[in-house]
Amino acid sequence: MESNKKYWKGLEELNKTPEFLENNKNEFAEPLPIEDVLSEAGLSTVTPRRDFLKALGFGLGAVTLAACQKAPVHKSIPYLIRPEEVVPGIPNYYVSTFKGNSVLVKTVVGRPIKIEANPKAGVFNNGTDAQAQASVLDLYDVSKLKNPILKKEDTTWAKLDDYVKGELNKVQAAGKKIRIVSSSLNSPSAKSVITDFAAKYPTAKHVQYDPVSYTGIIKANENSFGKAVLPKYNFDKADLIVSFAADFLGTWISGEEFTAQYISNRNYKSLEKGKMSRHFQFETGMSLTGTNADTRVTVKLSEQGPALIALYNAITGNSLPGAGLPNNTTADKAIKLVAKELTQNKGKALVVCGSNDVSTQTLVNAINVAIGSYGSTIDIDNPCKRYEGNDAEFAELINEMSRGEVGAVFFMDANPSYDAVNAKAFNEALAKVGLKVSFADREDETAENCEVVAIAPHYLESWGDANTYEGYYSIVQPTINPVFNSRQPEQSLLIWSDAPVQDYYQYVRNNWEKNILPGTGKSWNDLLQDGLVAKAPKAASSYGFSLALDAVVSSITASSKALQKDIELLVYENIPMRDGKLANNAFLQELPDPVSKVTWDNFLALSPKQADKLGYKEFDLVSVKGANGHEVILPVLLQPGQAMGTAAIALGYGRTRAGKAGNNVGKNAYPFVSFTNGTLQYATTATLASAGGREELAQTQTHYSFEGRNVIREASFKDYQKDPAAGSGNHHKHKVYDLWTTDKHEMLGNNWVMAIDLNACTGCGSCIVACNVENNIPVVGKDEVRRRREMHWLRIDRYYSFNDEKTGSDVTKETEIAKMDNQDNVSVVHQPMLCQHCDHAPCETVCPVLATVHSSDGLNHMAYNRCVGTRYCANNCPYKVRRFNWFNYWNDSRFDNYLNNEFTQLVLNPDVTTRSRGVMEKCSMCIQRIQAGKLAAKMEKRALKDGDIKMACQQACSANAIIFGDKNDPNSEVSKALRSERTYYVLEEINVEPGIGYMTKIRNIDSETKEVHA
Amino acid sequence: MSGHNESILREPLITGKNITYAKITDDILMPVENKPNRAWWIGFIVSLCGASLWVFAVSYTFWTGIGAWGLNKTVGWAWDITGFVWWVGIGHAGTLISAVLLLFRQNWRNSINRSAEAMTIFAVICAATYVVSHMGRPWLAYWVLPLPNQFGSLWVNFNSPLVWDMFAISTYFSVSLLFWYTGLLPDIATIRDRATGLRKKIYTIFSFGWTGSVKTWQRFEAVSLILAGISTPLVLSVHTIVSMDFATSVIPGWHTTIFPPYFVAGAIFSGFAMVLTLLLVVRKVLGLENYITMFHIESMNKIIIVTGSIVGVAYLTELFIAWYSGSPYEMYAFQNRIAGPYWWAYWLMMTCNVISPQLFWFKKIRTNIAATWILSIVVNIGMWFERFVIIVTSLHRDYLPSSWAMFYPTWVDVSVFVGSIGLFFTLFLLFLRVLPSIAIAEVKMILKSASEQSKMELIKEGHLDKEQMKEYIESLEKFDSVKQEEYAKL
Repeated sequence: MESNKKYWKGLEELNKTPEFLENNKNEFAEPLPIEDVLSEAGLSTVTPRRDFLKALGFGLGAVTLAACQKAPVHKSIPYLIRPEEVVPGIPNYYVSTFKGNSVLVKTVVGRPIKIEANPKAGVFNNGTDAQAQASVLDLYDVSKLKNPILKKEDTTWAKLDDYVKGELNKVQAAGKKIRIVSSSLNSPSAKSVITDFAAKYPTAKHVQYDPVSYTGIIKANENSFGKAVLPKYNFDKADLIVSFAADFLGTWISGEEFTAQYISNRNYKSLEKGKMSRHFQFETGMSLTGTNADTRVTVKLSEQGPALIALYNAITGNSLPGAGLPNNTTADKAIKLVAKELTQNKGKALVVCGSNDVSTQTLVNAINVAIGSYGSTIDIDNPCKRYEGNDAEFAELINEMSRGEVGAVFFMDANPSYDAVNAKAFNEALAKVGLKVSFADREDETAENCEVVAIAPHYLESWGDANTYEGYYSIVQPTINPVFNSRQPEQSLLIWSDAPVQDYYQYVRNNWEKNILPGTGKSWNDLLQDGLVAKAPKAASSYGFSLALDAVVSSITASSKALQKDIELLVYENIPMRDGKLANNAFLQELPDPVSKVTWDNFLALSPKQADKLGYKEFDLVSVKGANGHEVILPVLLQPGQAMGTAAIALGYGRTRAGKAGNNVGKNAYPFVSFTNGTLQYATTATLASAGGREELAQTQTHYSFEGRNVIREASFKDYQKDPAAGSGNHHKHKVYDLWTTDKHEMLGNNWVMAIDLNACTGCGSCIVACNVENNIPVVGKDEVRRRREMHWLRIDRYYSFNDEKTGSDVTKETEIAKMDNQDNVSVVHQPMLCQHCDHAPCETVCPVLATVHSSDGLNHMAYNRCVGTRYCANNCPYKVRRFNWFNYWNDSRFDNYLNNEFTQLVLNPDVTTRSRGVMEKCSMCIQRIQAGKLAAKMEKRALKDGDIKMACQQACSANAIIFGDKNDPNSEVSKALRSERTYYVLEEINVEPGIGYMTKIRNIDSETKEVHA
Repeated sequence: MSGHNESILREPLITGKNITYAKITDDILMPVENKPNRAWWIGFIVSLCGASLWVFAVSYTFWTGIGAWGLNKTVGWAWDITGFVWWVGIGHAGTLISAVLLLFRQNWRNSINRSAEAMTIFAVICAATYVVSHMGRPWLAYWVLPLPNQFGSLWVNFNSPLVWDMFAISTYFSVSLLFWYTGLLPDIATIRDRATGLRKKIYTIFSFGWTGSVKTWQRFEAVSLILAGISTPLVLSVHTIVSMDFATSVIPGWHTTIFPPYFVAGAIFSGFAMVLTLLLVVRKVLGLENYITMFHIESMNKIIIVTGSIVGVAYLTELFIAWYSGSPYEMYAFQNRIAGPYWWAYWLMMTCNVISPQLFWFKKIRTNIAATWILSIVVNIGMWFERFVIIVTSLHRDYLPSSWAMFYPTWVDVSVFVGSIGLFFTLFLLFLRVLPSIAIAEVKMILKSASEQSKMELIKEGHLDKEQMKEYIESLEKFDSVKQEEYAKL
């Protein structure tokens, strides 16, 4: 509607006076006095000369003074032409291979910073072990050599090549032998290079040895079936697993691969289908596998052979001699039970043995044939090529060298001066060799004795390949240019043998295009994207056993007799250090051993009763003298589950030239290894004597029992089958009262939570290292761990409980355990513990400055910049998962040996800030990954899908024990898992509403297995 | 308050003969107006060494980080907060004496309130140093104050007991300081009037123009009463809030509703013990036996019995409730206190705080100066251990046994604590040199009514009931500052 109303501002406008009309023509109704200003004071003021000079002088002075401040110079060189694919802030992923396992390498602006499992890797796609996770740190190791070394001095490759070639020619002219010593080499291209080298120098021979050897199995298979191979074991096909001291979930052959197989019959999905495998473990020391066994029976080292003979007899009805276990009724009963069950599970059972003794393994073969394992749970038609070392060849090498027959020796990925069976004899023999070349990346124990150190690059800087199973090949491709002046050993060999193709990249490519790729339908470029080629496996057939076992049995009995004196000593690999090659890796040194929770050290493991008998207390220093006279002084660790009359020491420690972090950590146990009956033996005898004094080990957990608290909930498989909620406490819940009814967190979008399957977690600890690498968690060293200040955001709590034979009940209280006569019957549970992201977080209410707050998607945030460090939140955390920066770990000379130097800090994840001292930190639920996942979905204009975002710990877990996802999505995997009847929340009774659900531990035990220990 | 005759039954608050207003001034100002004696110098040098140790240890902590202390992932507070609560607790006696006893017209407070209030202020200063030094980033300590700011206008968390604590302690400190200073005004004026030269100028400034007129006195009385009214709730509130640092948490052994009254009683208990520790020495060294008499000592000992017994009942109640709760965590926390690795700390606490004060039921002990002094120190040791037991033994073994750990102090922990005692005594000794350790004006108020000589006059007047007189004379037997032979004749 149009309005006819007229508005006016003044009577002048209404009346339209002439003055008004006149003035209204101008922009301003009244004239502005501009002219006056300009004509009068404005322009005519005089600036006196002096004032001008004063102003000038002051201005000049002020500017000069201001310029005196030296502006910091930041050298930043912008890309003139941006390298293809490199966008700062956006990671690139490349496939490569670590120790035969195909991996995915995350690189950020050219720096590799994280290792993941290759999702296309088929059988290996289930995570990575701790060593693979930590391996990226070795790329940035300051203890490595920067240039090749010739006679203790830095040199150039040209000079080095001249020298080596000259020497090689002399050796060849003299007709002396050339030996290339390596640990098991599963690279087809490298093997081909060595073959080519041997063609040029006919006296050259490749000697493979492994400090932790599998020769026993290979030889036994040669004897039994005429195939000198390491079999492919299929734990996923085994409903019944009987292991004699084989740590197959940890260090035996391929732990993370076996873990995935093993767990597939024990995790929540399998349980929901009503299936769970059964696992018996007979062992001397407490291994990671032993902690996961349903029934674990301690046997002495000397009882292992008789136990196997007894088992063979019981299964086959034979009566071979030497089967008696007179002093171990528990093992005797267990063997009878196992024999019965093995016979019932023919073709679905598997017996493995960790021994490296040919006779023992031959007997195991006979047992496996008797229970029909070949063709189902054991496959020797598609053998495993991870280990091919030959102990006898290496022993022969020492003889050849000491006789002066060897003119040149090359060490590839081998450090025999440290880990050889008799390093002293080896070093003496080595001195008689003319040309000694080491391909180490640092001046390690062997390189120190070599005049040429042709430094090798890290695997992340290398080309190469691997062949872990028959028909299964993967590629090693570099993710960064070599940082130092290094050259691949294969390339050096090609140059020294004047090969036609001297570029190793070209050599690998030629080899693949000629020998591996044809018939697979894949091109080289496909390979670089997929990382591997898997050819169709051959059909696994069953095998018969026709050897007469008399000689075998007498050999086993003789070995067993030899061990029956003093203290039987086992030397073993532990999870963090393995064979000691990565001893300078600070992440691994600080990874607590999954069983003992000890970091930065090895120790003498004795059972508490044994130590009591010998009069030792925990951490007492004890001198251990081996049968061969070798002596070390180590602190005692009381290890429940260690057999009486035995002791155990981990290998891989006592390096003297590993580098800043790894030198002189623990004591070297390799000299205790003996070469007997043609193979390396890790069982020996020792005498113990008090060395006086005490050395506290740096443990991350010192209290081992869960005191009957319901933080751990477990049930037997039998009870689970009757009632899936058995033991979970879900049937009788209390009514919960809530103070915060008006202040509920509304999680409208996502609600990030986790489910952890205690039945899947083996406790291996690779998640801990993955978390450390992903979240830039500082390494604090032995002293600080001893003060209980490790920074790990994720830890694995390991609790022992003891079964009382008389009452049949579990004893979990420390005071009651101490009173028990028999502590052999120990059960173990591993519980990953991390920030529970409570919806009623006790930490949040107490922070005075709101540095820790709740997010709308269910996360407990930590704003480092706001934290003033009162530590009240950590005190009030019932789970004790918060970690305080006691020192400035990133700028404090005390931590220089670990991560605190400019080069090593290149490993840091740029998406996660490093924390200063005085600040609290804790698991952020990999918030950077959540954010990246959300952004990626947003860029693609789609909703987030379940599985888009994976936590670092989850990704590393071979067992898929950690499930992360959105609780608001009822179809997400985590929602399904949390709906399991087994799910409970730790400390739910204090109503902090934790966001992480745990699923009860189920053990496949019944009255028969309990009878074993009765 | 003065002028009227007091019942003969009441024991004298000032002893000695020929006490005049002038003598009181001379006696009390003796240390202020003269060169210090050797005892003062020895004490001061030792204390100053302690204070230097404190400066060094705290600087070292600031330089390297809290890692210099013995704390770990499980035990996030130990000697720091133990020291903090201990010092705050000690301060409480001063406020109780100056405020609550004033409101209740307890004239005997007049001789001890000045030193007790000074002790309060110095103890709160020591406590406040812990508030800052225990922080991981002490340079950001001001973030706990709700100050307008430009950090995206970040605010404090009013749910956090630490914020309440900050308010409680700062209020407490400012009110105590104000009360103490107001009380000092007439005495500073007295010093001013007697001083010359520079000293006169300084005391002139600090006396705020005190004239001594009737109007001034009237206002002075009114202000004192108002400040006493404000301070009285603080006696209860400060330690209540300190106790909430623990009571509002979820940790077994901390999560306890009994904490507020129990902490307040404990604070008064330890505060009186500290007043005794200090004044028994001051009385002897400065010759103030006539003003701080056996009556004062015995009265304070009686308060120690009462508060010590309350604390003892609280300990037993905690044990009962732990059992009655049926919560395994709660039960374990107390089992662990009694018989865990820190059992010795618990039993030291029990002996020092529950058993030893009961000795004061014996008149011989509570009127024996040496025994009182030793027991006052025993109580202070006990109260330190009470806080250590609450903080460390609750934290070191809480819910998940995997995280159980021990706490071992480092040399820095010990130095910061020992150093804070040095700091306290340095401040206290300086106070004795520059300000009167007894409220001169307030003591003068009771001279005519409650002194031994005024009572003697009453006796000489001879109108007294024989029974009452006998009782009065008998009550004087315990006084070390009364010449007994004079009364033997009567």
